[in-house]
Amino acid sequence: MRKTVKLDIKNLSIERGERDLCCELSFSVQSGDLIRIAGENGAGKSSLMKAILGWVPIEDGELIYNGEDVTQHRDMLLQDQLYLGHTPGIKNVFTALENLKLYCPDKSDRQLEQALEEVQLFAFADIPAAQLSAGQKRRIALARLWLTDKSLWFLDEPFTALDVKGVSVLEEKMAAHLSEGGAVVITTHQPLLHLSPKVIELSV
Amino acid sequence: MNWTWFHKLGSPKWFYQWASNWGGRCVYVGLALLLVGVVWGLGFAPQDYQQGNSFRIIYIHVPVAVLAQSCYLAMGIAGFVSLVWQMKLAPVFIKSVAPVGAIMALIALVSGAIWGKPTWGTWWVWDARLTSVLVLFLLYMGVMAIQNALDDQVFADKAVAVVSLVGVINLPIIKYSVEWWNTLHQPATFKLTEKPSMPMEMWLPLLFSAIGLYLFAAGVSMWRMQTEVLMRERKANWVKKEVLEHGI
Amino acid sequence: MNYRSYFKSEWLSLLRRKQDTLNALLFFVMVITLFPLGVDPSSEFLSPAAGGIIWCATALAILMAVEGMYKEDYNDGSLEQWLASGLSISILVFLKVFAQWVMVVVPLLLVLPLLAQMLFLPASALGVVMWSILLGTPALFFIGSIGAALTVSLRRGAVLMLLLILPLYIPVIVFATGAVRAAQMEMAYSGQLAILGAISLVALALSPIMAAVSIRASVN
Repeated sequence: MRKTVKLDIKNLSIERGERDLCCELSFSVQSGDLIRIAGENGAGKSSLMKAILGWVPIEDGELIYNGEDVTQHRDMLLQDQLYLGHTPGIKNVFTALENLKLYCPDKSDRQLEQALEEVQLFAFADIPAAQLSAGQKRRIALARLWLTDKSLWFLDEPFTALDVKGVSVLEEKMAAHLSEGGAVVITTHQPLLHLSPKVIELSV
Repeated sequence: MNWTWFHKLGSPKWFYQWASNWGGRCVYVGLALLLVGVVWGLGFAPQDYQQGNSFRIIYIHVPVAVLAQSCYLAMGIAGFVSLVWQMKLAPVFIKSVAPVGAIMALIALVSGAIWGKPTWGTWWVWDARLTSVLVLFLLYMGVMAIQNALDDQVFADKAVAVVSLVGVINLPIIKYSVEWWNTLHQPATFKLTEKPSMPMEMWLPLLFSAIGLYLFAAGVSMWRMQTEVLMRERKANWVKKEVLEHGI
Repeated sequence: MNYRSYFKSEWLSLLRRKQDTLNALLFFVMVITLFPLGVDPSSEFLSPAAGGIIWCATALAILMAVEGMYKEDYNDGSLEQWLASGLSISILVFLKVFAQWVMVVVPLLLVLPLLAQMLFLPASALGVVMWSILLGTPALFFIGSIGAALTVSLRRGAVLMLLLILPLYIPVIVFATGAVRAAQMEMAYSGQLAILGAISLVALALSPIMAAVSIRASVN
């Protein structure tokens, strides 16, 4: 079982230059929740996620994590989360295995290879990421989901560049994570195939 | 100690109203003092026994050079305040003062060169103080360049605060290194802490023009800050009311 | 991610990109070559000027090396992962700068005796030049890392970064060349070297914090 988490977002407002991205947005994420942040291009889906994690400044509002106010210092929140951004931090000069080793240093090579097998990359474990396709690179990053014990996942457009098989593997993994008591926040503009998330709709 | 003034200073609205009262006064009093000091210095103060009349540029050169350094110091402090306490007005201050300080540094360079011609026989000498003013000018240009290069307001504010703070930490080291590197210049003519070596009829006008220039620069900076505050707070209700009542 | 795995990966990526190190070194040699060609190839000019020439070339080569140090991390999302990791950004910056420093300065020190010969630097002064580079360049790297962090999101930030950072390099260049000149005139130079070391220590203590603030502001 994963550590139980509860994140409350209260009256969150984010501004980006001239535009208000979201105004007085409130929702909460707890163990077992799948939250999908939806909206058109430029509605501020990624910014909302980054604001929760603390690297887009928030104009107003509060973040309560497990009962504690983390609006100013996100350390507690950051300890329990795993974030995969739009560009998920995969280094071109490293092989798939080396990339995973950077992020999951306490796992054995065997475990890393198993994770790569889950995302059908075992055959490419020793090939530099520069030679892999965009979808394959994303799958290297997604392999971290099989290696982590964090409860709260923030996935920014995780389906980009994935093939149909990849999408269903990822959805299965998310379902497994939810049933273990984890929570997932994803941004995506297309609906999920098998899972039914709570939707937070952002408008432009 | 009473800290209310400090918190008030964080409020753009309070500052705007305060500056409307004081900005103009500073500018006019400053201009008057500056005029007195310069006219007195250029027209009536006694000649220097070595340099004759050419020393009179001191009444412009010295205040301007000192002000250029003070402005950068103030920007560095504002940078610190901005990074540590996230006070809203600090980046506004840096943005508004930087061009004022840059112009002062430029005038100091030009007047120094003009002074150098009769004194040393050339327009430019690689002397310690001229060189450090040149570096100071480059530091100002750096602050303004990064301000212009970044579109995102929040990021630009942070960046400018970092650059000014790093610059202020470096400035004494730069000054010291340049002085160590070369000292050709005459020793500093005017220090507040020491008994001046000039006769009173000579340094009094200098004091007038220095105080006048400081006040003038403070007033102009307040005006610039007011404009910046209006632009940044354009969505706030008090700005709408202010503009409706008094116009822009 | 933890500090150890990050440091290891930083080394690995620097070793994989040996060309970058080589480029910095070639740039260094190129700048030095310009002085005899552009000013005067006689030993009367070069011998006293050698310290200054070597240091100007070093400063420029280091700026070139440092300028892009976060570019790739910014583009591939690694900087976001830094923030998400919950690790101290200042320490990550420190580790990165340290690795970069070793990768650039060690090869530079290796080719230095050869270039010193070509510039007619007296053999007695070579040791001081080496020491000044060892003690002074950490400051150049750490200060430069602030500029690199500030301009990482700009597509053409290189020139801006030079404008921001080069004035801050002046004290290091002044004291380093001062030490070399003192050695050439057979005077004491330990004071200048001590100041170089002090500047590097101050830069080491403060720059990672400033670079961390800048990285946080850049990633959004």
